[in-house]
Amino acid sequence: MALDLVHDLQRAYRKTVDSMSRPGLITNIKAQADKVDLEIGCFKSTVVLVQMLFDTEVTFKVVSKREAEITKLLNQLTYAKAAEAQTADFILVLRDAGPFGLEKALIAACPGDLTDPHKSSTIIVEADALSNERDLALAGPGIDAESHIKVQTTGNWVGLRAEKNSEYPLGIEIIFTDSDHNLLCIPRTTQIVKQVVG
Amino acid sequence: MKINYNFAFFDEGSKREIRRATLKAIAIPGYQVPFASREMPIARGWGTGGLQLTLSLIGKEDVLKVIDQGSDESVNAVNIKKLVKATTGITITGITTEATIIQSRHRIPETPLKEGQILVLQVPLPEPLRYYEPSEYETKKLHAEKEYSGAWLMLFEQIMNYGHMSTGADHPVMVHDRYVMAPSPIPRFDNPKMNCAKALILLGAGREKKIYAVPPYTRVRSLDFEDFLFEAESFQGKSCRQCGATGVYLDEILDDATGKTFYQCNDTGFCMQRLNGKPC
Repeated sequence: MALDLVHDLQRAYRKTVDSMSRPGLITNIKAQADKVDLEIGCFKSTVVLVQMLFDTEVTFKVVSKREAEITKLLNQLTYAKAAEAQTADFILVLRDAGPFGLEKALIAACPGDLTDPHKSSTIIVEADALSNERDLALAGPGIDAESHIKVQTTGNWVGLRAEKNSEYPLGIEIIFTDSDHNLLCIPRTTQIVKQVVG
Repeated sequence: MKINYNFAFFDEGSKREIRRATLKAIAIPGYQVPFASREMPIARGWGTGGLQLTLSLIGKEDVLKVIDQGSDESVNAVNIKKLVKATTGITITGITTEATIIQSRHRIPETPLKEGQILVLQVPLPEPLRYYEPSEYETKKLHAEKEYSGAWLMLFEQIMNYGHMSTGADHPVMVHDRYVMAPSPIPRFDNPKMNCAKALILLGAGREKKIYAVPPYTRVRSLDFEDFLFEAESFQGKSCRQCGATGVYLDEILDDATGKTFYQCNDTGFCMQRLNGKPC
């Protein structure tokens, strides 16, 4: 059955809202992702997110070894326009982006400005795996006491993200997804502390 | 002629734009995100902001409750319920605990909200600084610089003039220690319910084209002074004449014939549940 652009995207959106409003809450959009019948070169959950959020008003940047090809396909699918990472509304860091893909995206991403902090990038990252293991501790709005996550991906994203978000309300949002179609959102208000095991 | 409307009235492009704005609003608690407010089949200023949020959120599995100043059955609530029901076919309820989405005009239900619920508040005037600064450009600058002395001065002047803070409703709040926010014209009684609420609170202003949000477990503090604290309306010694509830927001009703004053729950759904002996 093909992806229902009304009801499936609504369900995926509500899961995203849940994850964005409760950082650390991992939701799953496998039911929707399994219906995606397009081969674009990224996770099917990424395609669901793209179809949920992208249209002609959106600019995006793909960080991948197959950047040109995937950019063209996403443009054809959504009519969203390609842009440089410094100005793009969304940056897609795909799984084949290489070890420094996410780091470069974080450095380049636009954090908005003080009058319009909403004009900032959202980075969609394809991680190897997402879980609630005690690796990183999260605190901030949406979190009752403390929440824990483990994100298997490359690069020093925690430090670079903290630097990018150091002047709140400026900052960026990160949406992680993985091959099991889990979703994890980290808004700019979330503080991440590396859990020390000992 | 029978028109087949889209599911949830909107075209998917409109939902997408509202959804993008909503996600940014959740990420920046209390900050007013501009959005391209659509024409709705009800007049602007009558809940179109809340309605647009509800329509962008709602799915076939949702259960919706709509309240208009505490009442499930007044004109604004009934019209909005009819529109959503006609374009989605979803279940409508009057019971707060059953609802997944609660759209409300000017009240937060008495029954505590729970995790997973979404409260959508209709907002006529989203800008808490508008009272003393008419320019949108200037208020955006004031928010950018966290320059809120005018908001405190406004309250100070009220204390000087009337001996108390005279904000009957819409008493400004500080969200996550960064943005001063209009909580919509909820009574002061409801302001503390926003602080660290378990539910996500979304606020929509259709006429003013703004969406903003308070995520769960977010610090929301009503503006006040160290030596003049915020006070909610007090209903000390009063109870609902129908269900006997105390410690809830009560309507004062004057009987013209006898000249007597009665008090009654403002939240009709809550009162009805109590009268029916059901858990609230």
